[in-house]
Order: sequence, then structure tokens, then C-alpha cells
Amino acid sequence: MSAPSSSVSTPARAPRPWAAFALAALGLGLLGVYPPFRVVSKRAAGGSRDPAGATVSTAPAAMFAPAAFAETLWTTQLLPAAERAPDVGPILDALRRNPAAALQTHARRVGLGNAAYYFARGTGRITAVERGRVLVELGGATVAVRTGPVFGNALRDGCGLLDVNQVPGLAEFNALSAELNRLVEQRVQPGLQAATVGATLAFAGAAEAPEALPASGPVLTFIPVRAEVKP
Amino acid sequence: MKSRPTLRPFFGLAFALGLLLAGCSRTDAPATAGAEPAPAAGARRVAVVISTLNNPWFVVLAETARDHAKQLGYEATIFDSQNDPAKESAHFDNVISSGYKAVLFNCTDAKGSIANVRRAKAAGIPVLCMDREIEANDAAVSQVLSDNYSGCVALGQYFVEQVGETGKYIELLGLVADTNTWNRSKGFHSVVDRYPGLKMVAQQSADFDRTKALEVLETLLQAHPDINAVFCGNDAMAMGAYQALLAAGKADKVKVFGFDGADDVVKAVAEGKITATVMQFPKTMARTAAENADKYLKGERNFPQRTPVAVELVTRSNVSKFGDYGRKP
Repeated sequence: MSAPSSSVSTPARAPRPWAAFALAALGLGLLGVYPPFRVVSKRAAGGSRDPAGATVSTAPAAMFAPAAFAETLWTTQLLPAAERAPDVGPILDALRRNPAAALQTHARRVGLGNAAYYFARGTGRITAVERGRVLVELGGATVAVRTGPVFGNALRDGCGLLDVNQVPGLAEFNALSAELNRLVEQRVQPGLQAATVGATLAFAGAAEAPEALPASGPVLTFIPVRAEVKP
Repeated sequence: MKSRPTLRPFFGLAFALGLLLAGCSRTDAPATAGAEPAPAAGARRVAVVISTLNNPWFVVLAETARDHAKQLGYEATIFDSQNDPAKESAHFDNVISSGYKAVLFNCTDAKGSIANVRRAKAAGIPVLCMDREIEANDAAVSQVLSDNYSGCVALGQYFVEQVGETGKYIELLGLVADTNTWNRSKGFHSVVDRYPGLKMVAQQSADFDRTKALEVLETLLQAHPDINAVFCGNDAMAMGAYQALLAAGKADKVKVFGFDGADDVVKAVAEGKITATVMQFPKTMARTAAENADKYLKGERNFPQRTPVAVELVTRSNVSKFGDYGRKP
């Protein structure tokens, strides 16, 4: 194989700096127009844009603090809501007439499903002090007010102040429920230790809505936001 | 003789630039650009991507989603991820390249599946989650979810009523990568752990699988023959646990608790073999997701990111109300 002729016959050439500059400028220009790669933020690449152009929230979920959220809610919204809660009397009347209709008229729901809750206040005479609850007679019906451990979402879902989309996810929504229950145990239930049969109890809170009247026992069991025992 | 200046450096540079440009694409181009045109049928096709079909509950979820999408006028195809994130990812590749218009999605991994949802979204394909949550608020159009934690709070309260405030129990967990596994476990423990007399002597995953639950409990019973109860993170494991207890001659002494509301377990609750389960509503979730997809494709954009679906405790006293993966009409 012979060497290229130019390498043999061509004398040493003077360097041509203009050619190198021109090629470099051309290359840079092309790279500017057609960049070999682009740096984009993950958010932009990952779809801050809705497929059909609708705007969706892309703000990163702030660190959610269920205890602080519950504390603020309790003070600024829940206690005032308890003060202006509807009287339980008409709800009990409606339940006696038709539990399904009462549920439609007076109960609250969060999401889909059959779980529903009432949020109400009432005053009645304590007829029994049992483990975990006191029974209260008012308007010819018996309701219970919880004095023992509080579980479930009656307060969270019954108060009408909260929606799952106010917090980052379901886990946080459930943590919030647990915190509200803790506040009931810490702030309201100690006041119920003075409950005695014959005393008067004024209360406000949330109760799970029954689909049918129970064959025996209290019609509703309230998780109290406010409770005051009067001799 | 004066030779002409060589052009080889220029051609070399041009060739290199050509290679670079050939590998580039603009980031704002559609992700499906360059893909073959979607088949004509793709104009009305919906994909149902399901975590697993190796569990009757998920079969109901998938088939209801598919059937409801068909009722709404779409062609619908079920993709089984077999609890494998890699298979799920491959399904999304297929869905994106094949011109599907929406995905009704039951994920394998609350975190790991987010990337698939984002890829579909970037390709203009809305994803609507069913039952299992993804841990992102800006990827799916909506998430219709079982409130597993709350269901297990109710189950935990019933567990204490039935087992009492003292006793020993075993917990069989589901898939550890699934948020539902932990939502159920946390809901249950939020109640039961308040009773110090109730001791959990073992906690082990059986992957939501009936056969594995049987094997795991058989082994655990060797070390803990004196348990009072078994809490299982789903009904398939509850049936496996019951079989293990039956084989060990302990089925009438140890109470078994499940979660899902599967038909065979609802029957077992009625017969007193299983103490309780929690009814989820797969048909409600699947129908809602399919309806939301239809509304989305018709232009609606106002969907809550999450919609919890309440679950219900099923015991021997109310079991007559339940059946066929929901409430009886």
C-alpha cells in the first residue's frame, strides 16, 4: 500500500489559522443550533404539564407535621365548630323516624362508601358510667360519650372541616386522625372523669351514623370535642 | 506542484457533528414521536395495568375496570404485572407505543411505579390509579383508594373484643414494598398496641400469597404453638393461615383475621372459620376509575387527586349483608 501522494510531494505548508477559526466557529454555531444534549429539570421532564394542557399542582409536598396541623385545627376551627354545632335532638328524632333518611339529611361523608358521621351537640342526664363511656339520656333517647381510648375517623370525617387532598396523602390523613383522637384523650376526656350518674353532661362531638337503629344500647356514640359535667 | 488543501479535517468534523445530531432530539417533542402510528382501534383503547392476577381480588378489580371501560365505549386490555416492577415498566412501554388513550392502573410499588406514570403522562396518556396509592400528587389524574388504615383500625378494635386484652398473636404481612401492607399493619397496631397484654410473638411477610402464608405459619407454629390469633394483611393469607391451623389441629382455638372481603373468606366468616375480614370495594374503585378516565378523555379536568373509599368490617353478625366483593343489593 502506497502512502498518499500528498505526504510525499507536498512541501511543508504554512499554517492557515483562518481555516481553523472558521471550522471552529462553524462547529460552535452548529452546536448552538443543535445542541447534543440539553439539561432540563426533572420537574419539566417529568410532567409538570398535564397531558391535555391543564395545570396541575407540582409544588413538592411540604414536610407534613400531623401534630402541629391537628393543634392548629383544634384551636382555630374545631372548637368554634363545636360551639355552633347543630343540636342532636332533631337528629335523634330523624333517626327514630327513618335512619336512612336521617343519614341523607344530617350526616357527612368523606370520599366514597357507606361510612357517614354526625357532628352535633347536646345536654342530658348521665344514666350510667361504664368502662370507656358514659351513657346520657336526652329527649327520650340514650347516646354514649366516649371516655376511654379513641379510635377511628369519626372526628376527622365528621367535623366537616377536612378533606384528604388538604394533606400529602392517605398516610398523612390517617396520622392526622390519630392526632385528633389523641387531643380528645388529652384535653377532653380528663374532664369526664368527674362524671357521675345523675349529673348533667353538656357535650359536642362527632358520632358514626348507624344504618339502622340498634336493637339495644345507645343510638349514637360521640367522640367529644367539648364536654362539661355539671352536678 | 502545489497541492490543494485537504478537506479531510472538515469532513471529519462534519461527520462527528452528524453523528451527534443523529442522536439528539428536542425535549419538547412528543415522547411518541418516531413511533409507528397507532392502529385505528387505538383511538378508543384503554389499558388496565394490574399488579397481579394471581389473586381473585385483583382479578375482580381488573375485570370490572375492563368491563366498565367497554360499557363506556372503549376497547380495553388487561396487562398483568405479576407483582414485578420490570414487567409493569414493559407494559407501560407497550401502552405508550401502541397508542392507548388512558391507563387504569393498580401499581406494584408506591414509589417505583411513579416513573411509569410520569412517562405515560409525558406521552399524553392519563393514568388513573385504583386501590393502590402512588406517592406522588402530580403524576396520576386521580387515585381512587381503599382506606386500608381505617379498615384495620376497625379490625383491630374487633380483634381486641374477640381475643380479649391479653393473649399472643402472629402477624402475617403482605408485600413489604406495598404501602397497603404498612397502612394495614399500622392501622391494626394503632389499636392493639394500646393493650400491653396482647403480645405479638412473630411478624413475617408472606407476600399476600396463600401458599406462602400456609408455609410461613406452619414454621412459626413450631416455635409458637400457644398463640390465640393470627392477623393477616389480606384474605389469601388468611385462608393459608387457616389451612395451616387446620393441619395443626388448632383451627378451633386460634382466631384468624383477614382483609379484602374475598368471596371465599366471606363464606368462611359465615361458617365461623375466619373471625373477621374487611370488605374493600374493588368494583366501586374500578368503575369510578373507568368513569373518571372517560370524563377526562371528554375534557373534564377537575378531579380530586385522591378519593378514599371506605371499607367495612365483616363479622359473623353482619356477614349476610356482604358478597360478590361488595354489599349485596
